[in-house]
Amino acid sequence: MKVTVRMKINGAEALFEVEATERLVDTLRDKAGLTGTKFGCGIGECGACSVLLNGKVVSSCLVLTVQADGAEVTTVEGLARQGKLSDLQEAFVAEGAIQCGYCTPGMLMAAESLLSRYQRPTTEQIREGISGNLCRCTGYTKIVSAIRKTARRRAIRRSGR
Amino acid sequence: MKALKTVGRRPKRLDAEAKVKGELIYPSDRNLENMLWVEVVRSAHPHARIRSIDTGAAEAAGGVVRVLTAKDVPGENAFGIQIQDMPVLCHDRVRYMGDAVALVAAESRAAAREAAGLVQVDYEVLEPITDPEFAMRPDAPALHPGGNILHQGHFKKGDVEAGFEKSAVIVERSYQVPMMDHAFLETEAGVSYYGEDGLLTVESCGQYVYRDQTQIARALGLPLDQIRVTAPFMGGAFGGKDEITVQIHLALVTWHTKRPAKMVASRDESIVSHTKRHPAWMWYKTGASKSGKLLAVHCRFISDTGAYASLGGPVLNLMMEHCAGPYLVPNVWVDGYAVYTNNGFSGAFRGFGCTQACVAIESQMDLMARALKRDPLAFRRANVLHQGDRAALDYEMKTKVGAEPTIRAAQKGKLYRQRGKIKRDRSGHSRSVAPHIKRGVGVASQMQGLGLGVGLPDYAEVELNYSPDGRVTVRASTNELGQGACTAYAQMAAECLGVPLGKVKVVLADTATTPDSGTTTASRTTYAVGNAIMMAAEKIRAELASKGVGLEGISVRETFHIPVADQELGEGLPHLLYSYGTHVVLVEVNTLTGETEVLAVEAYLDGGRVIFKTGFEGQSEGGVAQGIGYALFEEVLLDGGRFLNTNFNTYILPTSLDVPADIRTVPVEVREASGPFGAKGISETCMVGVTPAVLNALQDAIGVRFLKIPVRAEDVLRALQEHRG
Repeated sequence: MKVTVRMKINGAEALFEVEATERLVDTLRDKAGLTGTKFGCGIGECGACSVLLNGKVVSSCLVLTVQADGAEVTTVEGLARQGKLSDLQEAFVAEGAIQCGYCTPGMLMAAESLLSRYQRPTTEQIREGISGNLCRCTGYTKIVSAIRKTARRRAIRRSGR
Repeated sequence: MKALKTVGRRPKRLDAEAKVKGELIYPSDRNLENMLWVEVVRSAHPHARIRSIDTGAAEAAGGVVRVLTAKDVPGENAFGIQIQDMPVLCHDRVRYMGDAVALVAAESRAAAREAAGLVQVDYEVLEPITDPEFAMRPDAPALHPGGNILHQGHFKKGDVEAGFEKSAVIVERSYQVPMMDHAFLETEAGVSYYGEDGLLTVESCGQYVYRDQTQIARALGLPLDQIRVTAPFMGGAFGGKDEITVQIHLALVTWHTKRPAKMVASRDESIVSHTKRHPAWMWYKTGASKSGKLLAVHCRFISDTGAYASLGGPVLNLMMEHCAGPYLVPNVWVDGYAVYTNNGFSGAFRGFGCTQACVAIESQMDLMARALKRDPLAFRRANVLHQGDRAALDYEMKTKVGAEPTIRAAQKGKLYRQRGKIKRDRSGHSRSVAPHIKRGVGVASQMQGLGLGVGLPDYAEVELNYSPDGRVTVRASTNELGQGACTAYAQMAAECLGVPLGKVKVVLADTATTPDSGTTTASRTTYAVGNAIMMAAEKIRAELASKGVGLEGISVRETFHIPVADQELGEGLPHLLYSYGTHVVLVEVNTLTGETEVLAVEAYLDGGRVIFKTGFEGQSEGGVAQGIGYALFEEVLLDGGRFLNTNFNTYILPTSLDVPADIRTVPVEVREASGPFGAKGISETCMVGVTPAVLNALQDAIGVRFLKIPVRAEDVLRALQEHRG
């Protein structure tokens, strides 16, 4: 049975005709062409498919597309503005928090969610915040430090206002 | 040498921006017009004869375009990097759960999956051979025509018995290490199609496009020049994509249907089907004199290579080559066997045999130091190999040996110097030390052969283009697996030609546009490709000086051959060049729950001069995580040849909470004369020593010697109970 689903993806309205059983990760990758969201395990263990659903980080392999009806979805493609990297993306690049890069989009989404919950996260809170996202290359060290630096810069910016 | 502008620095990775934006297209991201989805029907049994295959129902299913079986393989129905003993599609027998029996190509993935379930295979189930010692017996049923011993090696230097007679301390133990999955985050994936140039093109995830091209051509019975293979980027590999995965199957479907095709393995399929780290059983007897000199190492390895050869022979060779670690031992006796069983299928994985041997020899070194009441690093240092010494297998160490400098640096490091205080201190590391929390510091030292070793073709050809406007393009057929090599290549080219890094572009892994630079394995690419870049740059500089750039630009191809040892002891045996490393690890054990936490790691690594500093550290930190995984979590479990844990809910990988925030990587740059700017490689050494250092730290913490990994919380608890009891 096909269902019509509307959602806002990275600020743009989108309309899909999907099977009721279709997963959000497949809709994003195959129908919306947003292949920045990756697929790693299909059971919500690796976090490669993490996206923000109404601001909250979810594994898009565990969300049915129909559940996202009316929702706002943010994927990695929505982080940069007019091609300009976000501060978090810049920090990942500068710190060398990227190797094969396959976990990177999901990691960025988890980090954004974390930074929205904690204004000045401790290292432990950062490690906890990305513990649902597996990375096989980096040992997480530089990812944690990229997130920590972004948090610090955002705090400085806020206090400067 | 004048000051370097970019080599040794921390430029942004060339591929970072595309990756961070989600714009880089990975093999699994490719979609093509009119493409078919391909699913593999894999064996239902670890060992069986195929009586018949009925594809009728699958062919009749909706959306199915083609079902292929062994009879549809036009060329040789076999592949394998070293020995072609693995069928593309099985026709008479299956030897492990990952064996491919049929391919289903359909208009959608769902249709292909559904139809794959409709392929009827009539099996005569055979008893699986799961015990390698049984498999080695002459009366065991043979899995391959040559019997079950794929490869064996026997080496003797001096007289071990005489060595043991003179020894004040003799330690004898048996170690067991598990099957490990690479767990690259992107599963095996790719697409195939006929390009506008008429070539049957496979865009995939292999670690050597030229060898994949050969393997595809052989299976399809096509000339090489009708096949193009590309694989510039992928979501990790670690050796697990060295052997063929999707490439031949994709080519086969496109060849038969003339349509583009796509494959992406599910995680379960990936874990079942691709090669693994060899499980191994290692018996060791080692002796040392009262004054702390190693006198004898006697050891025996049994390596379970599973259903097919892949690189099981060379992996065993490296296990034997590295059996005595980076130490000078006058008397050595090593026997090794790589054995076929129905336990999955093993092959290349970071460390390549050294990983297994290092767990055993570094445990032995610690036990001997303890028995002699010697400082573990001082004991290692007193026995370390130097240039000109004769290695375990009795060949001369002809190049600079970085083992002692890494040990010396580790001795000066904070973790080691202050280990007594750190173990007692209640404030030194985040939490307070309650009575049930025990801390320990462990060390391990390691060497790792660079390149494929003697007797195997090991070269890198590179093309360098210098355009009239001063832009440089590097073309090499190695892959960017995540290790950062493309950035290192650009740095070296920029440095040699005196252009800014921003003017250098790197084109990777395409049989049509990049020359053959060899495998992306064996810690070899920075060294080999780097050298070829330097050779080509030299020619460009000479031409610029004599004639100038002209209107056409300058294009140069150069080939570098990795120098090898002057004697050959076996395939890839021995090496001439090695990387070295010493790791110091701090662990904390909760004696109530059995949980082990690694709190800090210091890595002292000699990969020669560091080219790309951020990449070097990143490799090291990732290696630490993998070494911790091998020590404490990771094991592919099999029962009678059937896989028990095939996804990340049961195959447990280290998360951000399992890897210490405190990892310190210290380059110990022993410059290699033959290396580009003095560089060697780092991608394996950075992982291998971590695992035994964790085991040694565990003994320091709770007084228990673990002989089998992974050491899980339940193993710690059980051991503590036995220890007390």
